[in-house]
Amino acid sequence: MKTQKKFIFVFLLLAFFGLTISSSARVGPTYAIINCKIFPVSGPPVENGVIVIRDGLIESLGPLEKISIPEDAEVIKADGMFAYPGLIDAHTNVFLEVKKEEPQRPTGIPMQIQGQETKHHPELEAFNLLKPKKSTLENLHKIGITTVLVVPEKGIYAGQSVLLNLNGEKAEPMLIKNSFALHINFSTARGAYPSSLMGTVALLKQSFLDTEYYSSYKSRFSRFSKGLKRPEYDPFLEALIPFVVEKKPVVFNCANLEDIKRALRVIKEFKLNGYLTGANEAWKVASLLIKAKVPLLVSLDFKPPFTSLYANRGKELKEKAEKEIYPANASNLHEQGIKFALTSHGVKKTSDILKNIQKAIKAGLPKEEALKALTIIPAQFLGVDDILGSLEPGKIANIILTSEEIFEEKAKVQRVFVDGFSFEIKQPPKGVKKASLSIGGKWRATVSGPMGEMEMTVEIEQERNQISGTISSDFGQWEISDGLLSENKLTFTISATIMGESMDMAFTGTAEKDSIEGTISFMDGSAELKATKIPDAFY
Amino acid sequence: MSKKLVLYITILVLCTSFILAQDKGPQFIAIKGATIIPVVGEDIAEGTILLKDGLIEAVGKNINIPEGAIVFNAKGLFAYPGMIDSLCSLGLQEISSVRGSVDSRETGRINPQVKSVEALRPDSMHIPISRANGITAAIVAPSGGLIAGQSSLIRLTGWTSQEMIIKSPVAMHINLPTIARPRFRRTTTTPQEEASKQIKELKELFNKARFYLKRKQAAKKNMLLSKPEFDEQLEFLLPVVNGELPVMISVHGEKDILDAIKLVKEEKLKAIFFGVSEGWKVADDIKKSGIPVVFGSLYAMPPKWEDGYDSLYRNPAVLQKAGVKIAFSSQSASLAKDLPYHAAKAAAFGLDKKEALKGVTINPAQIFSVDDILGSLEKGKVANIVLADGDILEQGTHIKYVFIDGKETDLFTRYEELLEKYKKKH
Amino acid sequence: MRKKTIGFIVVLSLAVIASFSFGQDLLIKNGTILTVTKGTLPKGDILIIGGFIKQIGENIEPPEGIKVLDASGKYVIPGIIDSHTHIALTVVNESAVTISSEVKMRDVLNAEDNSIFTALSGGVTMVHTMHGSGNPIGGENIVLKMKWGKTSEEMIVHEAYRTLKFALGENPKQANRFAMTAPRYPQTRMGVNAIIRREFLKAKDYMEQWDRYLKAKKSKKLAKNLIPPRKDLRLEALVDMLRGKMVARCHAYRADEALEFINLSKEFGFKIVCFEHASEAFKIAKELAEENIGISIFLDNWAYKVEASEGIAYNAAYCTKNGVLVSINSDSSERVRRLFNDAAKTMKYGDLSKEEALKLVTINPAIQLGVEKIVGSLEIGKHGDIAIFNEHPLSAYTRCDKTIIEGEVYFDRAQYLKEREEMEKKKKEKEKKKVGGKK
Repeated sequence: MKTQKKFIFVFLLLAFFGLTISSSARVGPTYAIINCKIFPVSGPPVENGVIVIRDGLIESLGPLEKISIPEDAEVIKADGMFAYPGLIDAHTNVFLEVKKEEPQRPTGIPMQIQGQETKHHPELEAFNLLKPKKSTLENLHKIGITTVLVVPEKGIYAGQSVLLNLNGEKAEPMLIKNSFALHINFSTARGAYPSSLMGTVALLKQSFLDTEYYSSYKSRFSRFSKGLKRPEYDPFLEALIPFVVEKKPVVFNCANLEDIKRALRVIKEFKLNGYLTGANEAWKVASLLIKAKVPLLVSLDFKPPFTSLYANRGKELKEKAEKEIYPANASNLHEQGIKFALTSHGVKKTSDILKNIQKAIKAGLPKEEALKALTIIPAQFLGVDDILGSLEPGKIANIILTSEEIFEEKAKVQRVFVDGFSFEIKQPPKGVKKASLSIGGKWRATVSGPMGEMEMTVEIEQERNQISGTISSDFGQWEISDGLLSENKLTFTISATIMGESMDMAFTGTAEKDSIEGTISFMDGSAELKATKIPDAFY
Repeated sequence: MSKKLVLYITILVLCTSFILAQDKGPQFIAIKGATIIPVVGEDIAEGTILLKDGLIEAVGKNINIPEGAIVFNAKGLFAYPGMIDSLCSLGLQEISSVRGSVDSRETGRINPQVKSVEALRPDSMHIPISRANGITAAIVAPSGGLIAGQSSLIRLTGWTSQEMIIKSPVAMHINLPTIARPRFRRTTTTPQEEASKQIKELKELFNKARFYLKRKQAAKKNMLLSKPEFDEQLEFLLPVVNGELPVMISVHGEKDILDAIKLVKEEKLKAIFFGVSEGWKVADDIKKSGIPVVFGSLYAMPPKWEDGYDSLYRNPAVLQKAGVKIAFSSQSASLAKDLPYHAAKAAAFGLDKKEALKGVTINPAQIFSVDDILGSLEKGKVANIVLADGDILEQGTHIKYVFIDGKETDLFTRYEELLEKYKKKH
Repeated sequence: MRKKTIGFIVVLSLAVIASFSFGQDLLIKNGTILTVTKGTLPKGDILIIGGFIKQIGENIEPPEGIKVLDASGKYVIPGIIDSHTHIALTVVNESAVTISSEVKMRDVLNAEDNSIFTALSGGVTMVHTMHGSGNPIGGENIVLKMKWGKTSEEMIVHEAYRTLKFALGENPKQANRFAMTAPRYPQTRMGVNAIIRREFLKAKDYMEQWDRYLKAKKSKKLAKNLIPPRKDLRLEALVDMLRGKMVARCHAYRADEALEFINLSKEFGFKIVCFEHASEAFKIAKELAEENIGISIFLDNWAYKVEASEGIAYNAAYCTKNGVLVSINSDSSERVRRLFNDAAKTMKYGDLSKEEALKLVTINPAIQLGVEKIVGSLEIGKHGDIAIFNEHPLSAYTRCDKTIIEGEVYFDRAQYLKEREEMEKKKKEKEKKKVGGKK
């Protein structure tokens, strides 16, 4: 009888776990990457290394002699490539839909009411705004970024950021951590209060005071409600409680050195769990940062802020500062012993991110420190260093394989693993030449094929000879990816969804300054495309 | 008999009263004992200036004073020629934020037909204040647009504008762009492009004006040819293209100045440059062109930080030393009285003190071709004389008397009026 | 044991004092020294040790190794103080609301503002930089020393009074703005006074609430269920005014609005230190002198607004002669370098003596800001804040050649000329190379 009960108990237990296991995400493959030089970041490099990945996690890693390759593993020959932890970009705005903000003008506000009408949105979650794009994903993988913290951009209380693992085109499987931090900008409300920076500082202080007051009043009320007027619900203050009272992280976006000082003062006064981001002038206030011991996310944007001396004494000085002085920010901080992560915040083009990392290294930041600032340090700041940031057994299998040592001039990322799923980086086919013209912008296209004639609008983005963009038609919006403009020969893939069915169509053709012509081929046939450029609107 | 007597007596009375009723000042005035700074010629200690009917009859140490002359004791004082403000808006605005009191800027870009003297308000409270600081004549100019209009040279006394006019019109005013400060301007074309655009526009206008004149002349000769349709703009540009009326071109950037010199040469204009903020960079070119320069108010920040904090202050010295004829202006109405201090500021930054004084006296007289009557204390010139207890370019100096056309003028201004009123209160 | 600990404490405190470096050592020799408060020394020296003036006299022996500055033929005066500017700030007005007493200019300092250098080039060593005049109640101002190249914290003068900006007249009532879709209350002077009164009444209530709460907190009977009032930063600033911790600096042009504001101050018991601009102060000179309220004004900038249309140039001198403490300010990042020129005009318009004129930009603004113990004149014990001119500072031909703060030279015209010369050389060489390359 006892053994029967035990058996039933164990069976139920297994069934329960089986259910839970089977209801979790798709099962990842098993790989063994062999013959690579491993840079784990958490330890010394490993020559002739092997990494075993199973179901999204690193199972084991080490030199060939010490690691046994499992039978069910798909062997990937790395041929001497270099293996690094996937890079973590702790401040980006990728996948966020940019809505045109209406300027807040107080029309028809009755007299005697001061401009208290501003709607702040600390409760806004970046996760709810995500619109993942395949081309962005590919661009990030191309420079080795596998994890991003997506931060909402606009407003003084910009909202709450989300940490994503770039494992595909759907938002849910990417989620690592939601509502990581509240993000605050030292901006203004333009036309409504606060319309000045000092008003913003006063607003922050007053909001935090009010949050503390509201929270203590609420807890007082929950203990002795008799005789006490019930607190009036305030969604704004409610949204701030986790950050001001429960000390979840608050990240201040610092455009210049005075912003850093402003942020540190507020963090100190309200004992916040404060972080600083942006901070491209951080080296100027190194002594304050050493004292404050606040996690620092340093942007790779080297443009001198408008308050800076360098921005107000002529174009020559401004360009010199951007070339020579600001790139040395990171190396200066390192010399002072200040810990920081590097982010792409403020860098407009994805291709510039890598360039700017290389500039920072050239300006004196040791390469290993740059690597740390993009792997283990952001992992620590983001509170995920138990699962990300280095190559260790048990951690998530975010791995990048590069052709040369990372950040070297000629180094190219060849393959990327995110959550153990492999993404091969498409290299430009041999024989591809530079683009001979620029075709970025809006185009009006007519497609004539078996279904008849259709009007479409094509929006093209061009980065050197890489083409991406969208096609809009009555069917909806389709993405253009893998686009290449070799001299004037244009090729790209259209990811179309027609009547619920998704299919990829290939386009080949030629492009001139104001016209594009070519053929779209799909499974059952082909269609002709002719497009003319829509002139840029005058602003 | 009695009727004839009555007639003769009446005629006699009428004649005498007529003579007595003449509002003529005394024939001779002798200003004695002052240290004379004539600007042209050597200074004279304890000298005498003899005035006759509003003109300077003699200047010297020992002058023969005719009988019946009114003697003016100026011992301990300094005598200067009255100063000339080479560009201001005196009489064109009272309170600058009140539109009803401002007539300095007409709407539209091209207004050669507009004459500032026709908006001049002789009762402006700013005119006596400027006069009380030793300024006796001023160029009152319109502003704004590409072609602002015509200016006039006025004396700072008179009941009506007709009484005030010395020379009208004295110049046509053209404004090329200033140097835009990068932060707050976002034009689609850089200021340099704009200037060359506008110079092109001017050339086209001048060309049109010339052909307009030719057609008019041809139609005059030949009755069968039709006259061109009346064009106000071209009509009033004719004296400019003929070289009769000088143009005062406001221009600031280095390249723009060179382009403007070219324009003046090609169009054969009689020109004066105004402002020339970056003139010090092209001083030799300006000298070669022979074009004189009037500086605007020196109370302005250098347009480019890289040029140095004192670039506008040292500008006059650099140009003067390169041989350019320079003059100063107040470029104001309410602060027109500060004209001498702009000159002194330039002297603080390298300009010779004597040259600074010339920049507010003989130089503007020469630039505007009135040096036969104004600008220095010399025989034959108009008796515009300032008597002060010190250097008139110094802020602490008290101006004691101001003569315009040989007559002593009233130095009781709005300032004194309000002061006296409230002295009574306390 | 005790001796050891005492010894340790002594060494530690010495180290602390040494590390707390205030200013530098400097000996200025052979200049004409205009002390402003203690007469003129036709040829004298000033010794500055650790940023403080230690000695003023003739033929001072230079201590070993000290930096010596030869001022032969030059005029040495106390650093000029501009008691009304808006420089070194990232933004000036909180224009979305009418009452913004919660904002502090201390939060928006910009130590890299080129205007700081401009001020130094005009002999200015200290400024009172303020909120704008767009609001009836603006924000808290701050006093800075023009220590170009140092951090914003190092520029703050902590000894100065805390001041709150008030504004009356055309600016806060937005009289000179173009037609707006929604005019902001108040649009008249009576509205301006009403809104100031409203805020002070609110502040009075708030202050009483807090006083009651703090009293009750001490008494143990009610302590259990006691809830503090909500802290309101806007009203806190006004409570500071009521408690005398902060004083009013009020922008007012017309005589009548100044008198009305004095009435308001009496109604609530706060102190007005100074009226700003006060074009019509001469009309109420006696009243201002009686109330011990100073004025901080332009000399002759007038007739740009209706309320400035009776602003006479005699204002400064007349008020001075009638017992009002007068300072001349610039309110401009351009005029800041010509304050001495403006002061000189009081000799013409009002017959002030040279000494009286110089006070208008030195000791008088220092007294108005509450820093006369440390700056404003050349006296032993005060800070070594000095400006050196090549001619008498009240001559129109003068030029500031050096500006010194606490013994450190922050502006040196000779140095500037050298740097410019080198820059021009480099430019010429660059152009030669270009031309050479083309060939």
